[in-house]
Amino acid sequence: MTRYLYEKDLRPMKYTILTSTKHDRTVRAIAHRLGMADAKLRMAMIRRLDMSLLENLESRWEMGQKHADGGDGVAGELGCELFTRFIPLLDTETMQSIYDETTTMIQNGLAVDDAITRGRERIRKAVLR
Amino acid sequence: MSILQDIKNAVRSRSIHVAYVDVGSCNGCDIEVLACLAPRYDIEQYGIYVHNNPREADVLLVIGSVTPQWVDKLRDIWDKIPEPKVAVAIGNCPISGCVYARRGTLTTPPVENYIPIAASVPGCPPRPTEILSAILSVAPLIFKDYEEKQP
Amino acid sequence: MKKTVDVSIPLGPVHPCWKEPVRLKCETAGERVLRVEVELGYMKKGIERIMRGRPWQEVMFLAERVCGICSVIHNMVFIETMEEISDIAVPPRAAYLRVIVNELDRIASHILANFSYCYTIEHETLAMYLLNTREIVLDNLERITGSRVNTAYMIPGGVRFDLLPEDAVTVLADLDKVEEEMRRHTRIFETGPLIALRSKGIGVMDREEAIRSHTVGPTARASGVSDSDLRLRHPTYQALGFEQITRTEGDNFARIMVRFQEIFQSIDLIRKCVTTLPDGPIRGGGLCRAGEGSHSGEAPRGELTYTIKTDEYGRVLDIAIRTPSIMNIEACAHAMIADAASIADVTSTFISSDPCVACNER
Repeated sequence: MTRYLYEKDLRPMKYTILTSTKHDRTVRAIAHRLGMADAKLRMAMIRRLDMSLLENLESRWEMGQKHADGGDGVAGELGCELFTRFIPLLDTETMQSIYDETTTMIQNGLAVDDAITRGRERIRKAVLR
Repeated sequence: MSILQDIKNAVRSRSIHVAYVDVGSCNGCDIEVLACLAPRYDIEQYGIYVHNNPREADVLLVIGSVTPQWVDKLRDIWDKIPEPKVAVAIGNCPISGCVYARRGTLTTPPVENYIPIAASVPGCPPRPTEILSAILSVAPLIFKDYEEKQP
Repeated sequence: MKKTVDVSIPLGPVHPCWKEPVRLKCETAGERVLRVEVELGYMKKGIERIMRGRPWQEVMFLAERVCGICSVIHNMVFIETMEEISDIAVPPRAAYLRVIVNELDRIASHILANFSYCYTIEHETLAMYLLNTREIVLDNLERITGSRVNTAYMIPGGVRFDLLPEDAVTVLADLDKVEEEMRRHTRIFETGPLIALRSKGIGVMDREEAIRSHTVGPTARASGVSDSDLRLRHPTYQALGFEQITRTEGDNFARIMVRFQEIFQSIDLIRKCVTTLPDGPIRGGGLCRAGEGSHSGEAPRGELTYTIKTDEYGRVLDIAIRTPSIMNIEACAHAMIADAASIADVTSTFISSDPCVACNER
């Protein structure tokens, strides 16, 4: 196991970044979209994203809403590209498996809304893991 | 005075390696230090070489008021510089915190609390010529007869 | 089979190539860089927190000290936001003078960025040439505003000092000198075979990635993102007939060349401004009022946005600053450097995006 020299606990500094006006607003918007508590999302972000990405959160979120998941309804509802490529809260494989499962559920005759609700539940769990 | 000391004096007076570290400023002072490199000011005719490496530096230019990350790391850098060494504070920030020493700030000036400062160049930012003359006037004071001055 | 050792290489915070402290933690497999994590916090002064609750007269000087390299544009965008909130009109002469100072600052900033790049790829001769040319530009900035850095030239409703006729002549003469020298430096950079080896095809960012992370300024324009220059929407620049420069390669070479080309464009703009400078007052006056507004301007590094909320005494209640380096450093670290062929290219690629850590962290 290799470790970096002169490491310091970055969590308080990452939290400071997230408390600025626009970042706070963006975090709340993302939490609303995912349907989870702000504080939990903040915790997950501090753990998963690096400081530069946290600073850039707002413009990535804006661009994500403009350009991500064009056309595909289920992917758009789940935020497949949004939460992997624009704001990398999940890795691509996990997201793909969630997407596959949701589409299979829809093909097996489950109502679209129910399937998406279940998919979102899995996304929430994966983000917090 | 020994011959060895004479040789050391002669060498040290014409070979000053400078490292600069920004501990949280607006980088206006950074670029004025960089401007010293320009052929107009010709910093190298005095034997000053700006090499941003603390391990081979003689003079450390400290810029900026101290941000959370630097609170412990500034001392680390200072300890890595070989003796004899001298720290010069560039700009208002290391002295007082300048505009950043207000309510709500994240900085903790002055720099003197963390490392010993030998000289200060006030200004927001100071001119390159002032930085140059500060280095040139403080370096001989510390480096001349350094070994003999040791107790 | 030879075993490849995976090493994690941290670069910085104090690094010979970097003007400001930032730490890149590179995970490598052999020479190939797999992933980069950026560690900031070395320059976090909390300037937005300091600004809150202070009168605009104070915030104006604080806004400049967000970043020393592009201090003029921070001043300009803050003042323009205040003008937009309070409906203050600017006299035409003042608007032209603002463009002159802003473009001089842009030239100085672009030269500094290219200097850093040349210094990083160890072409020290060209770096020193560029730095010497920058001094002429700074002289002119000082001649007009009275200061080299942190000029505080603009105020709501105008500018502080007028451009005297004899100064205008000197500015034009100096611009000729700068243009001649920059032509030579650009030729050296464009035709240098060793420079091409270190720059062409390295740190490539395609257009899609540039849009995804919302890169702005020369970094985006080198990747072919059109309509990303906010000067196209500024009324004074529209009157001057401004056109943006784009390239399509998206590598280090393109980013530096875009800056070189923009320097010539800025020189032309200043010349046009000085020769067609309208007569009239330079200060219109006005009162800063309560309101809320957001305004963007084109900094040397790209789009700069101020979102301000004020009360009836002109105090700043809430402020959010979005600087160009936030987007550019992020895109650079996660799109250009990731999957770089060699760890030796990390520094030069990072510098080619013109990172300004003081802007990034505020």
